[in-house]
Amino acid sequence: MNVIQAILTGALIGGLYALMATGLSVIWGVLRIINLAHFGLILIGAYLTFQVATSWHLDPILTLVISVPAMFVAGAAIQWLFDRLRLTEFNSLLVSFGLLIIIIQVTSNIWTADFQRMSADVNPYATLSVAVGRLVFPVTTLVAFGLAALVVLGAHLVLRRTFAGRAMRAIAQDRAVAGAFGVDHRRLSVLLGGVVGATAALAGMVFALSNALTPETAFEWFGTVFAVVILGGIGEVVGTFAAGVLVGVLSGVVSAVWSPATAPFVLFSAIILALLVRPQGLFAVGGAR
Amino acid sequence: MSEPLLQVRDLDVRYGDAQALWDVAIEVHEGETVCVVGPNGAGKSTLVNAIAGIHPAHRGRIGVGGADITRLRGHRICEHGVAVVPEGRRIFPKMTVLDNLVLGAYRKSARRQHRATLADVYEIFPRLSERAGQLAGSLSGGEQQMVAIGRALMAQPRLLLLDEPSLGLAPVRVDEVYDAIERINERGVSVVVVEQDVQRALAVAGRAYLLGEGRVVLSGPAATLRDSEEVRRSVLGL
Repeated sequence: MNVIQAILTGALIGGLYALMATGLSVIWGVLRIINLAHFGLILIGAYLTFQVATSWHLDPILTLVISVPAMFVAGAAIQWLFDRLRLTEFNSLLVSFGLLIIIIQVTSNIWTADFQRMSADVNPYATLSVAVGRLVFPVTTLVAFGLAALVVLGAHLVLRRTFAGRAMRAIAQDRAVAGAFGVDHRRLSVLLGGVVGATAALAGMVFALSNALTPETAFEWFGTVFAVVILGGIGEVVGTFAAGVLVGVLSGVVSAVWSPATAPFVLFSAIILALLVRPQGLFAVGGAR
Repeated sequence: MSEPLLQVRDLDVRYGDAQALWDVAIEVHEGETVCVVGPNGAGKSTLVNAIAGIHPAHRGRIGVGGADITRLRGHRICEHGVAVVPEGRRIFPKMTVLDNLVLGAYRKSARRQHRATLADVYEIFPRLSERAGQLAGSLSGGEQQMVAIGRALMAQPRLLLLDEPSLGLAPVRVDEVYDAIERINERGVSVVVVEQDVQRALAVAGRAYLLGEGRVVLSGPAATLRDSEEVRRSVLGL
């Protein structure tokens, strides 16, 4: 029973990893930019949810009305800047890391480096759970999983079915030829940056629902989220979702059966093994890139 | 004669410090098929890429239908009715045949009618409708060339630029490609074919230009160029 509970809870938590990883993966696949500042946007999104909910006594999920547009603008602005700088894939890693450090510094100036958490009276979700037989699911993980599934499904449909989505996949494969057919790379990259910023707001909200915040948290996301991006296949939204769930299940089971301390060791050993077998990612089938 | 559909004048193109085209001037009139021949490195692809906006012009003027497109950013040029079949096809390998074709109709004025245009393209290349759901990268060379030409047709061009459409294809596939080019021209699309396969290109074209070391060496009716000493020497190596 313990193991079944661990598997299911892990899968749900994996939704949060997928939610954090999808935007990073799509920007990397389509625009050839590794945007570490994405973690900064998730962090700001989390703090916005905390701040707005606490100050205005607003339902934390409703704070998205503020944080989604704000992060859309921030994400679009960052992509606009990257486009002006004509960054290469490797340079983007350095520049966006710098940007991330600045964001972390600014957040700790505003909200201090201490842990902050929404109090129980503004955040009813933290303590709610749904019981199915003897299995118990925290509502926060259900929200994370549901939002992740929606984002991934939406992104998948947009990339497959719309002119803008086809144009993004075309940019990923041959930017110059896509341009000759009228695809405006600059405009699309700003739009994509905005949409990805909005998903960062969602991920930040979900994280704030069940966790205490400190600016340094952004660094803790690095390893797991990158693992999800690489395992899922760069630019592959459905693959990213599957990888998120897999990573969540694996950490959950190892934590339950063994101990939480050994989870990263087992997880990253498994990832290295998986990449030795399939360097293009476990779930790569030929998506955006 | 009316104003030409494509008018290139005094065109210089550079790659960094290396100049690839000097003072190139060519004209294509409504409904014409024109070929550009010349040896390897003569600047044929450079000329196509400059017109299509894949690589910018350094100096000179490129006019399409009376509009100056020389300084337009690449993605604006197709709005003037120019579509390209690039050298080496450059289809989107990880997209399906159908998605490749539909992307060709990305420009606003082509987008609305893309279903009707798609039916036209399938009529010219029935094979593409059988392969619609397959990844374009998994097709044979000849089929990929059909995708590249079909994608360009989806943009509803007035001027179709084809860069080495016979490259790397079996002779029977080359026949199919050239049949298609003639049928496209019959529908009123002006065509520029750049080729190393000189015989083939001169057979399909009304007029021709011979490029050599980045300059226009000779121009005139295709039949005249076929018999000229310069073409025989510089391209055919006779």
